Amino acid sequence: MTTSKDRVNKFIFGRVLTLALLAGLAVYATSGMAASANKKGDSKRGAKVWAENCGRCHNSRDARELRDDQWMSTAFHMRIRAGLTGQETRDVIAFLTETNDPPRTSVLAASPTPQAGARRLSGEAVYKQVCIACHGANGKGTLPGAPDFTSRKGPLKKNDATLIKNITQGYQSPGSPMAMPAKGGKSDLTAAEIKAVLAYLRSRFGQR
Amino acid sequence: MKYPGRFTIYLVPFAVLLALPASLLADAKYDALKKKVELLEKQLRQVKQVLKQQEAKVKRVERKTTSKKVIVYKGKAKDFMTRAEGRKLEKKVDAASEWKDPNTLIHMAGYADIGFVDGDRKNGSFVLGSFSPIFHFQYKDKVMLESELEVELEANGDTKVGLEYLTIDWFFSDYAALVAGKFLSPIGQFRQNLHPSWINKLPSAPPGFGHDGAAPVSETGFQIRGGFPLGKIRSNYAVFVGNGPELNTEWDGSGFELDGIDAEGKGTDSDNEKVWGARFAVLPWKGVEIGVSAATGKATVTKVEDDLGTAPALSNEQARDYDVYGADFVWKIKSVALRGEYVRSKVGRAVTGVSASDGGVWETWYTQASYRFPGTRFEGVVRYTDFDAPGTGKDQKQWAIGLNYLFASNIVAKIAYEMNDGQAGTVADDNRWFIQMAYGF
Repeated sequence: MTTSKDRVNKFIFGRVLTLALLAGLAVYATSGMAASANKKGDSKRGAKVWAENCGRCHNSRDARELRDDQWMSTAFHMRIRAGLTGQETRDVIAFLTETNDPPRTSVLAASPTPQAGARRLSGEAVYKQVCIACHGANGKGTLPGAPDFTSRKGPLKKNDATLIKNITQGYQSPGSPMAMPAKGGKSDLTAAEIKAVLAYLRSRFGQR
Repeated sequence: MKYPGRFTIYLVPFAVLLALPASLLADAKYDALKKKVELLEKQLRQVKQVLKQQEAKVKRVERKTTSKKVIVYKGKAKDFMTRAEGRKLEKKVDAASEWKDPNTLIHMAGYADIGFVDGDRKNGSFVLGSFSPIFHFQYKDKVMLESELEVELEANGDTKVGLEYLTIDWFFSDYAALVAGKFLSPIGQFRQNLHPSWINKLPSAPPGFGHDGAAPVSETGFQIRGGFPLGKIRSNYAVFVGNGPELNTEWDGSGFELDGIDAEGKGTDSDNEKVWGARFAVLPWKGVEIGVSAATGKATVTKVEDDLGTAPALSNEQARDYDVYGADFVWKIKSVALRGEYVRSKVGRAVTGVSASDGGVWETWYTQASYRFPGTRFEGVVRYTDFDAPGTGKDQKQWAIGLNYLFASNIVAKIAYEMNDGQAGTVADDNRWFIQMAYGF
């Protein structure tokens, strides 16, 4: 038998708290609407969001698997599923569209624009901005299938020409469920920056 | 001046006489050679003509075979098509817009699975899980229509089509979206994020997370959901209201007993009592998500299971209290993924109405660990589930162990064995082998 106390508790729990939560969210969301308007996606942040969220529920898909327009719809679908913010969604789209080489024009307003005349990055800077999302700060890899740079049998046993080719064109490690996108998804990396990051990998993680 | 001698004068005509036949002989040789060259030139022209015809023939054959080539040119299978051909095709695909308005995007995703099941008390059978296409129609970055159909092959060979969900989502803020329609229940994680066969690491759902279980499947109404940062950590939420579930009851000849909660989104609210609920989760660090969820409202008996055929018709059924609580977590560390979920659904007692009876509690929890063997495409998984339900013969404890092979991230072959502990002599007690092939697209 439901008592009057139960009914009061139920009313407070069911209606008042839910409505209060809804009202709070509406206020928060409305303020967020103005604050976040027209912020473009950032591919580096997008790579991090991609690496940290997709694998929580399912195996990460290859970032080059779909066309840009297909990735956009997928990203918005995943915004609902994974509880991503609008900014995180735009960041992921930026990462995915840059991964598709050559980058294609977005039909949505949120597409990123490469920074013209950006200065050359050091190998360490490239690693920390681009590679670290999947390969981790310790070089051992943060995703299933990401190779261990510190291992004697790891990718650093290969010669420079092979590694530069793999970085430039993208590469799928044996047994890995997804391929590394060309230039790690940052399509405006220069040849000099790729050489620099390879030198950094050898000095930081290579067997001495 | 010295004139030539007589001997020389006689010698000149003699030399001319001697040279004349030699010259005539050279001309004849030249003519023969010329004829030979002309013949060779003629033959060469003929050979060239034949060669040209053959080349044209080869090109025609090539064109025919090219059109039948598999459209794969990236990766290892590049023999099927040259890169140039692939790029040309890619441009065509890019240019092919389903809608002329570039602000509208169309995308199809989904999943399907086939398999084989062999249980202790059932014949081994080939089965089709479902074919579940998902359609996305998106207008700019504002509105998206998404829908998943569920096409299933029934035991008698009939095909059943269901609407798993259909929502129109309005992304009105960076931190919130309004999702209206029939949506997957935000209670817990399994139903809304893990049930697709290419994602679920075992071929079956944990007991209690399927239909008529403890965890709600879907809801018809609307929800506001999204994510936002809380300082340095991330969070996500969903708040919803919907028509709520309906209840099934069983007639045993002398009275009624609650049989199950039909918690799939209904197209009507039979008792005019809405169900309200929410889920809130935090992601304190990378790879970790901890969520709690709850819902409350009313539910009414609308269906009677009557094997005897003597049950009185339902009338004036009382709307019963309906409360759900849930908690879930996932912790992913490199190749290891740990996850777990608890859901408890409680239905109150009814004192009026034909089917008046005691209430009941449906409770289930599972915990699962999976491990991707480094450098391989193999993945091992183990799961334990404990499901309790009112009535007899429905409680079930289950160990499931499986090995998966990932052809790709979205194509998984699974083999698994379930050890079930339920009421003896029932399906709930059957141990089962599963083989499944799941494809996400």
